[in-house]
Amino acid sequence: MRRKAILATAVIAGGAVLGTFAVAKEQLPTHLKELLELGMHPGHVFADEGNDYYHNLKGPNGKTCASCHGQDGAKLVGAYAKMPRYYKDIDKVADIDLRILSCMTKYMGFDPKDKKFKKKYTKKLRVPLATYVATLSNGMEISVKLDDPQEKEMYEYGKKLWFMRVGGRDFSCGICHTVLAGQRIRLQGLPNPVKQKSYNHWPAYRFGSDKMWTMEDRVRSCFKAYLLSVNQWDPKKDWVKKPPPYVKEVIALELFMKHASNGGVIEVPGLLR
Amino acid sequence: MKKFLMIGSVLGAGLIVACQPAAEKAEAPKAEKKKLSKYEKFKMALAKQDKYQKACSNPKQLVPEGIDIKTFKKEMLATVKFPEGGVVGKNIKRGEKLFGDPKKGGKSRRGNCYACHCGDPKIIACGNIGPTLRGYGNKGIDPKDTYIRIYNSWAVQPCSVMPRLGYHGILKPEEIADIVAYMHDPNSPLNK
Repeated sequence: MRRKAILATAVIAGGAVLGTFAVAKEQLPTHLKELLELGMHPGHVFADEGNDYYHNLKGPNGKTCASCHGQDGAKLVGAYAKMPRYYKDIDKVADIDLRILSCMTKYMGFDPKDKKFKKKYTKKLRVPLATYVATLSNGMEISVKLDDPQEKEMYEYGKKLWFMRVGGRDFSCGICHTVLAGQRIRLQGLPNPVKQKSYNHWPAYRFGSDKMWTMEDRVRSCFKAYLLSVNQWDPKKDWVKKPPPYVKEVIALELFMKHASNGGVIEVPGLLR
Repeated sequence: MKKFLMIGSVLGAGLIVACQPAAEKAEAPKAEKKKLSKYEKFKMALAKQDKYQKACSNPKQLVPEGIDIKTFKKEMLATVKFPEGGVVGKNIKRGEKLFGDPKKGGKSRRGNCYACHCGDPKIIACGNIGPTLRGYGNKGIDPKDTYIRIYNSWAVQPCSVMPRLGYHGILKPEEIADIVAYMHDPNSPLNK
C-alpha cells in the first residue's frame, strides 16, 4: 500500500516536472518541428520579401534602405538587439516598426502625411522589412539599455501599463502573463514574456492565424480581450479593440518586455501555434 | 394648375422645415464622433479605470492597495443590482448560450465561462484558471451567492482574476439570472 503511494507520488512529481518543462520550452507541435527541420519555415518567406524591399524599394528621392545601411544590411547587424531605444534624429523612443517608418519618411522621401503610403507601409511593407532587419541580429543577445532619460521614462510607463487593470474585464497584461502564466485560457497556454525571455523569437509566424506578426501586432491584439470602451461597452457601438500602431503605450510595453528579455539569444523568425 | 403648384411648394417648404431639426439632431452626434481619433478613444478608454481597478493595479495584482479589504467588499457588494424576477432566471437555454454556446464549441463573447472554467463534459476546450464547474449545482451553494459572484466577483474576492461582468454591464441582471438558472438546474449538463 505504502509502496503504491510512493510510486504514485513519484509519477505525479515526474509528470509535474515534465509538464513544467514542456511549458517552459514553448509548446511546438511536431508538425512545426518537422517543417523547421525541412527548412520550410513560412516566416522565411517574409524575411526574403523584406530583403527584396530593403535592396530594391526606392523612395521618391531614389534612395533604398541599402543606400544608407549597406549591402545585405551590413550596418544593421545587431541593431534589433538594442531596440526599442531612443533615437536622436526623431527625438523619440522607437521600436522596429516605427524606426523603419521614420527612416522611410525622413530619409527616403516618402511623405509622412500621405495616408496611402502609411497604409501601404503598415499593411504591406512593415512586417517583411521588420522581419528582415530582425534576422540580421540572429544569434546575438538582447541588450536593451536604459541610458537615456526618455528610455527610462518609457520603461517605467511600460511597467505601469503591464500591471494596469482596466476595461470591461478588469484585465491587465500581468493578470494573464504574470499571475496566470503557465495556465490555460481554453487550450491556449499563457506564456510569461517577462520571465521566459520570449521576446527572442519575435517577430514570429503564427500558424493558427497564418500570419507573420511583429511584437507591435501582438501587443495591440492583446487589447481586444480587454473589452475597452469610451462609455458603455457594446460589441457593435462602443468597443475600442486596439490602440493604433506606433503609439507610446505599445512601444512602452515592448520596451518593458524586451528589457526583461535581456540576455536571451535572438532566434527569428519565431514559429508559433 | 397654379393652385397645384402653390400647394406643392407650400407642402415642400413645410417638409423642409419639418425635416431640418431632425437632420441636425442626427448629424450632431456624428460630428462629435468624428472628432475623436482612434488614439484619443484608446486613451479615453484607459482613463476610464475606476478606483477599484486602480487599487488592484500593483505588481501583486490580486491584493488591493489603499482600500482595506472589508471596505472594498462592502462597496462592491453595494453595486450589485438584482433582477425583478429573482436571482434564478427562467430562460435556461439563454443561460447556457451565455455560459458558452454548445453549438459553437462553448464560445460566447460576453459570458465566455469556458475560457477559465470547465463545465459541460462535452466541451473539451475549457481553461484551467478557475475551478471546474462540473457538478456545481449539487454542492448546495446558494444561488444568490452564485449571482453575486458573476455580477461582481470583487464583492467576494477583491482583485480576483474573474471579470465583474454585471458591474461593467457586459451582462444584464436578467442574463446573469439565466446563467445562474443554468448552473443550478439539476438537468443541466453541468450537474448530470
